[in-house]
Amino acid sequence: MSSSDIVKSALSEGRPKLLEHEALRLMELYGIKVADYGFAATPAEAGLVSEKIGYPVVVKVVSPDISHKTDVGGVILGLKSRDEVVQGCERIMKNVSERQPGARVTGFLVQKMMPQGLEVIIGGTRDQVFGPVVMFGLGGIFVEVLRDVTFRVAPVSIQDALEMLGEIKASKILDGYRSQPPIDKNAIASMIVSLSKLMEENPYIFSVDLNPVIAYSSGAVVVDARVIVSKAGVVNH
Amino acid sequence: MLDMFFKPSSVAIVGATPKEGKVGRVILENFKNKFKGYVYPVNPHYQEILGLKAYSSLQEIPGSVDLAVIATPAKTVPQILEDAGVKGVKGAIIISGGFRETGTVEGAMLEDEVKKISRRHGIRVIGPNCIGVIDNWSGVDTFFLPEDKMKRPPRGYVSVVSQSGAFASALLDWMAYHGYGVSKAISFGNKVDVDEIELLEYLADDPSTNVVFVYIEGVKENRGRDFLETARKVSARKPVVVYKAGKTKRGGAAAASHTAALAGDYTLYRSVFKQSRVLEATSFDEIMDLAKVLSTQPLMKGRRVYIVTDAGGVGVMLTDAIELSGLEVPETPADLRERLGGFLPPYCIVGNPIDLTGDADDERFIRVLDEILPRSDVDAVVVVALPQIPGLKGSLFEYLVEAKKYGKPILVVLIGGELAVDYRRFLEEKGIPVFESPERLAKALCALYTYSQIRINGGTS
Repeated sequence: MSSSDIVKSALSEGRPKLLEHEALRLMELYGIKVADYGFAATPAEAGLVSEKIGYPVVVKVVSPDISHKTDVGGVILGLKSRDEVVQGCERIMKNVSERQPGARVTGFLVQKMMPQGLEVIIGGTRDQVFGPVVMFGLGGIFVEVLRDVTFRVAPVSIQDALEMLGEIKASKILDGYRSQPPIDKNAIASMIVSLSKLMEENPYIFSVDLNPVIAYSSGAVVVDARVIVSKAGVVNH
Repeated sequence: MLDMFFKPSSVAIVGATPKEGKVGRVILENFKNKFKGYVYPVNPHYQEILGLKAYSSLQEIPGSVDLAVIATPAKTVPQILEDAGVKGVKGAIIISGGFRETGTVEGAMLEDEVKKISRRHGIRVIGPNCIGVIDNWSGVDTFFLPEDKMKRPPRGYVSVVSQSGAFASALLDWMAYHGYGVSKAISFGNKVDVDEIELLEYLADDPSTNVVFVYIEGVKENRGRDFLETARKVSARKPVVVYKAGKTKRGGAAAASHTAALAGDYTLYRSVFKQSRVLEATSFDEIMDLAKVLSTQPLMKGRRVYIVTDAGGVGVMLTDAIELSGLEVPETPADLRERLGGFLPPYCIVGNPIDLTGDADDERFIRVLDEILPRSDVDAVVVVALPQIPGLKGSLFEYLVEAKKYGKPILVVLIGGELAVDYRRFLEEKGIPVFESPERLAKALCALYTYSQIRINGGTS
């Protein structure tokens, strides 16, 4: 499936938010590295997928009706065997049926648990004045509370992207502190460039949140991708 | 090409009137007093206005007309613009209000009509609902605020582009009071045709503009990228200082995505300013601080700032402010220490700040500056010359004007009463920026450094 096929099928089915595996696939199509994952329709299938990925894994519910997966008990971390994965999926189904009865469960996303690193957020949106733009910031309280982020209008070059990294107030954290080594700025910058390309080439994508992206001293990996699509390129409320 | 607005050879004032206090009278007086080309008052009720022959319509004017200034009720504007089209007028500044800004259907329809007529005849339009243009070099002045209420600044090299007419006129009045020169000022109102982007482009090519100041509230939908690209191109040639008023709100998107919610913030505009290499003034003070430093000072090649002071305390304040801004106040190198120590009294401090103490005189300042200014490891010099000390008679300030020959930024701190104000006027008239506040000086100097890096590195900072 090409990127436009993924977007089109969501639009035709009236789903403003891409399913987890669709969003991750879209990122892969643009050369953005994501944590190893697989989609499974049933708990048994999830067990098989996890064998291929290798442990530990995380399992997340895939549903067009659920927007906050953790709130309904739809995410289970640190599963270390096939049995644990199968049981985990069953637990998720039970949680969902109790906390959000009637929500359709399309299946499960099995994802490799990534080692700790520095969590950053990379985003893209379509602005009414400036068109497609990309955003960078540190994850967690830096974005949620301090709103310490910076933008660029697409298309961005690798230099533009590196400049963004230096522009946030907390940029020194990227250079390492205490036991944390400096992160691979080029890996993050090239991810920003790829997202800028994605935003430019897909007019029906309204926004992308890659949150978190885990940055290491070498490389960076997307753990969660949230993609909102819209016919008009903007969201109507 | 927008020359018809700034360098017309003939101007018709439609709605000119002899009645005191009327917009049409003030504008006519402006042109009569300052503009060297042909001026034609247009008003069917008069044979003559302020000693000039009046015409009942644009058609009646015998010669060609480059620019029509229209200050008549909104409902008469479409017909006048139509006449202007037939007459072959190149540009119109529509001062009149009563269009889309009223929020009425009638106003919006009138504005659409104006737009259509201007397109059909190829007439360029500034306005409507604006105060138009001042060009201090050609004498064009459509600001309808009489000179006794709003002083006109002297000729200079800073141009002002403003979405708000009231802010533009207040700013110019304030600049006039402080003696800051202006090249051109444009308030573009509802921008049916000419907008800030095209004005930026025009001012980039204008030889009498060294610094462009832009006041914007928001860029029109889908014009963002054009703004960015134009601003970036212009910044590679001359400094653009932007003040953004108002924060955009796009609440709807908030729930859908983090990124979209954050883009609704002012953060996006700030990022765009960085991306386009324009300098953002974040306060009213900064607008003029940046403009006066950028319009008078040469590029600053590096970060190293030397401070020469007759007041230890202010030297320390400046050091803090300059270091905090990201520039450096380096230790005086050994060879320079030695040279300065050779002639300065032993109680002077030859570190940086170089403290000449309260018994300094003009001569001491001048000798030290003569040592420092030619050095390749000095990128800018700040002179703190508090005029209260007995030895300072004023020849230092004449020297500073001459010292521009070294091609380095020189800024001055003067704090005090009338004497300080007199010296300040003298220096600023000669293109040496003077500050009272060390913090404001540091910010402006840092902006000069930022801009210099943009120019030196060819657009990448």
